[in-house]
Amino acid sequence: MVGATLSRWSMSYFAVALACLLAGEALMVVGFGFPSAELRAPDSLVLVHLIAIGWLSLLMFGALFQFVPVLVAKPIYSNTLPLPTLALLVVGLTILVGGFLQLGGRIPALHSCFSPAAVLLGCGFALALWNLGRTLWQARPLPLAARFVTVGLLCAAATATLGFVFALVLDGSASGPPLADIATYGIPVHAIAGLSGWLTFTAIGVSYRLLAMFMLAPESETPRSRAVLYYGTAALAVAIVGGTVAIGMGGHPTAFLLVAGLLGTCALSLYGADILHLYRARKRRKIELNARMAAIALANLAGVAVLSVVLVAASQFEDQIGAIVFLAAFGWLTGLGLAKLYKIVAFLTWLECFGPVLGTTATPRVQDLVVEPRAAKWFWIYFAGVWSATACLLLDAPEVFRASAVLMLGGTTGIAVEIARTRLLLDVRPELRILHLARRPALLASQ
Amino acid sequence: MTDFVEVDVRPTLRAGGEPFGEIMAAVNALTPGQCLRLYATFKPTPLLHVLGSKGFAHDAKELDGGDWEVVFTPADLRETTTAPTGATDDEQWPSPVRSLDNRDLDPPEPMVRILAAVETMQPGEVLSALLCREPVFLFPMLAKRGHVWRGAFEPDGITYKVLVRAGRQEGP
Repeated sequence: MVGATLSRWSMSYFAVALACLLAGEALMVVGFGFPSAELRAPDSLVLVHLIAIGWLSLLMFGALFQFVPVLVAKPIYSNTLPLPTLALLVVGLTILVGGFLQLGGRIPALHSCFSPAAVLLGCGFALALWNLGRTLWQARPLPLAARFVTVGLLCAAATATLGFVFALVLDGSASGPPLADIATYGIPVHAIAGLSGWLTFTAIGVSYRLLAMFMLAPESETPRSRAVLYYGTAALAVAIVGGTVAIGMGGHPTAFLLVAGLLGTCALSLYGADILHLYRARKRRKIELNARMAAIALANLAGVAVLSVVLVAASQFEDQIGAIVFLAAFGWLTGLGLAKLYKIVAFLTWLECFGPVLGTTATPRVQDLVVEPRAAKWFWIYFAGVWSATACLLLDAPEVFRASAVLMLGGTTGIAVEIARTRLLLDVRPELRILHLARRPALLASQ
Repeated sequence: MTDFVEVDVRPTLRAGGEPFGEIMAAVNALTPGQCLRLYATFKPTPLLHVLGSKGFAHDAKELDGGDWEVVFTPADLRETTTAPTGATDDEQWPSPVRSLDNRDLDPPEPMVRILAAVETMQPGEVLSALLCREPVFLFPMLAKRGHVWRGAFEPDGITYKVLVRAGRQEGP
């Protein structure tokens, strides 16, 4: 069938992802991991992977299974593979967290968890990339947004492969110079591939399409948007391929990361100009909450770039890398993710529930499923917490950081409740719910 | 495997010449199964219409230097080389009884209005709608309700025009 249908398991991805985000924030509240511990301490690695894989990657996969078919106007290769993929990723992540807890001496290490975690997560990522890759492959030549996603998926593969190597070295299954060197010096490359390549680059690609769609802005491919793709891809290739080769040959990746940083700054500046143009050229003057909150997240991305430049100039970059990564993960990626999730769940629920009777009877609008003023409050509480927490990291105040994490946890909980209410149609006026005609949605799966 | 004949009229245009004859000669020389790939210094909108009336579909894209590449696909190849449209019959459709311009509506309102309009039409009647993107969520719904459609981007590359022919009356 031509066109896009509902992704059956995306809601399950979103639910597990939100649970991981809440768990990660709760850990920050109780002072587990960074900044109470060192950034590379085992407890911090629990937190980092809970957020990077559990929250951000599952959110991204859930969204891509639904929106890659929209980007390329072709159906998803498989609508059933996402469920075993989710199981592999969740079990793999759980065992990986167990591995880090073993490494920190918090649980006994009868059998090392790292190799099984690496195999399960490796299979999970491979299945997800296979499914999305096949969908993209059958849609060539790809439109611009889908080309960003393709590069992002390649970076996900690189991130997972490096993580696989680290895990094998950590539990002694692999040793020897190239692999051991990669495990020792490759962590910045792993982090850049994941945070900048897989998550940020994919989000940038999808944002071109979603922002234009929801703000009625022009969506044409321009030389500047293509330049963002080329500069960004070049930056990621230099950092990931160049960095890994340098380490494999016994060197250090610093020079490659510097060049990549310059190229990446060019890409981000051009992207910023594109986004300003999108917001200014929009036909829809009064924009919805998701687009307003996405603008805050985009401002946080600009903040990450500016803060990085300032800290490099002040020779403080390496000391403050935790604050930069924090603002990127929570101010930019999580902010954008929550803003778009708020819209996506409402839209997909509306489509699933009322799509079959559209045009035959009066149905609610998508906006009738949400109560924006109530949700806006939770978004502002969340962002206030993120900004305050970032300041605490820069000023080295871990106790106040925990109070800021309480704000983040409270805001996220409020947003998660709003999203669940949307999914269960609790905010639709009863006379419009017409559930005798429409389909009542299941919380975690779409039909 | 599709066979392309390439015609680059950029030198002719830069020299101030008129490339129409050169292009039409190439078009007339196409053998069955061949497509024409044209390079020009601007988007040749009038030509798109001329060849469109001869049954050619086109796919135009701007190149990095501001030049344009346009691929013209003859009707006999279109079934396999362009996106299927949901309507597999080649019969002539009647003129639309309703026309909607949904380009300035917030999503998903364009889809809602098309579905509502089709519900009021008699089987066989055709609706025409202009949209600002390909309505990917609409197509499965039309198929489920037994309607057929034909759709493609207009020569401007921005407006998507969809024709929907009402099918059998069937409840949701």
